[in-house]
Amino acid sequence: MGPKNFLVAIVAAVALAVGIFAAVRLQAPAEYKAAFVLPAPTPLPEFSLIDQYGDVVNAETFRNRWSLVFFGFTHCPDICPATLQILATARKELEAAGQDPLPQIVLVSVDPERDGPEQLRKYVEYFGKDNLGVTGNIDELRKLTSGLGIYFEKQSGTGDDYAVDHSAAVLLMNSDGHFHALFSGQHDVENFVHDLPLLVAGR
Amino acid sequence: MRRFLIYAVLLLTACGAESKPPLVASEVVITAPMPGMTMSAAYMSLTNNSDHTISVSRVASPQFKSVALHETQTDNGVARMRALPRLDIPAGETVTLQRGGKHLMLRKPSGDAGNVSLEFFDGDMLLLTVDAAYKSRDN
Repeated sequence: MGPKNFLVAIVAAVALAVGIFAAVRLQAPAEYKAAFVLPAPTPLPEFSLIDQYGDVVNAETFRNRWSLVFFGFTHCPDICPATLQILATARKELEAAGQDPLPQIVLVSVDPERDGPEQLRKYVEYFGKDNLGVTGNIDELRKLTSGLGIYFEKQSGTGDDYAVDHSAAVLLMNSDGHFHALFSGQHDVENFVHDLPLLVAGR
Repeated sequence: MRRFLIYAVLLLTACGAESKPPLVASEVVITAPMPGMTMSAAYMSLTNNSDHTISVSRVASPQFKSVALHETQTDNGVARMRALPRLDIPAGETVTLQRGGKHLMLRKPSGDAGNVSLEFFDGDMLLLTVDAAYKSRDN
């Protein structure tokens, strides 16, 4: 094979590879814009926390409803309110589109030291009266977060001036109260509005 | 005079200066503190019209006990909020303070919660004053 034929063969091989790649892509429509669905939904671990009214929150609390769960804290001025705002807006858009059931928005505080029930109540209800705030004993909180692969770590600071690093993911719990899907990275209203009805209907 | 004062006031209506000020803020959003909270955040675009890097070393506000330059960094799915020692705006460029990125954290408001002034300094040199009203989150 001369150099020219060799070049033709290379070009043909590349064209074939591109064609196969494009065909595979077209045959596999991206059903979800952002959700990563767990191969098998995972039951929540045993834990006992409280909500914004002081009532017990445990694995049972998540049954018979769909929940979008975010881990954050009320003294976080940037990403936490931004994420809750995105979830609240997505929920409103889903409601307007007739989505049933609607997901409950849940904020689990990774800063129970500062986030008592009353503080949490004002904060979560600002984004919607049906929202659930979860706080409580830090050891119980660790049971929940470690069972879900959620990371959080209080950072050093002075007095009540400190930040808490935390996973940015939003988790979807299904109506069995099981961890069903995960939204990671940059959250977007459109992604939740698109994916949530598909996730609920796919059950 | 080696140390000259660069002073620019951003007003929504009176922004028609003939020569561009060295540092200009636009698209300013200051979130209102939420019920029960003592902190909020400020977002904006800062444009450097000069031919040298402008460095913001601190920000102050008469309406807040403290203003901090912060950055939310999300790596491997973990969001971290870190203090920025300074904010450099290269010559001719715009640096955007936005949600999930660089931002100003405003803590412990004092006085009435109406308009907010933000004063940007490099050391003791005032670079820019931004006046803006709180913007409520769209609910």
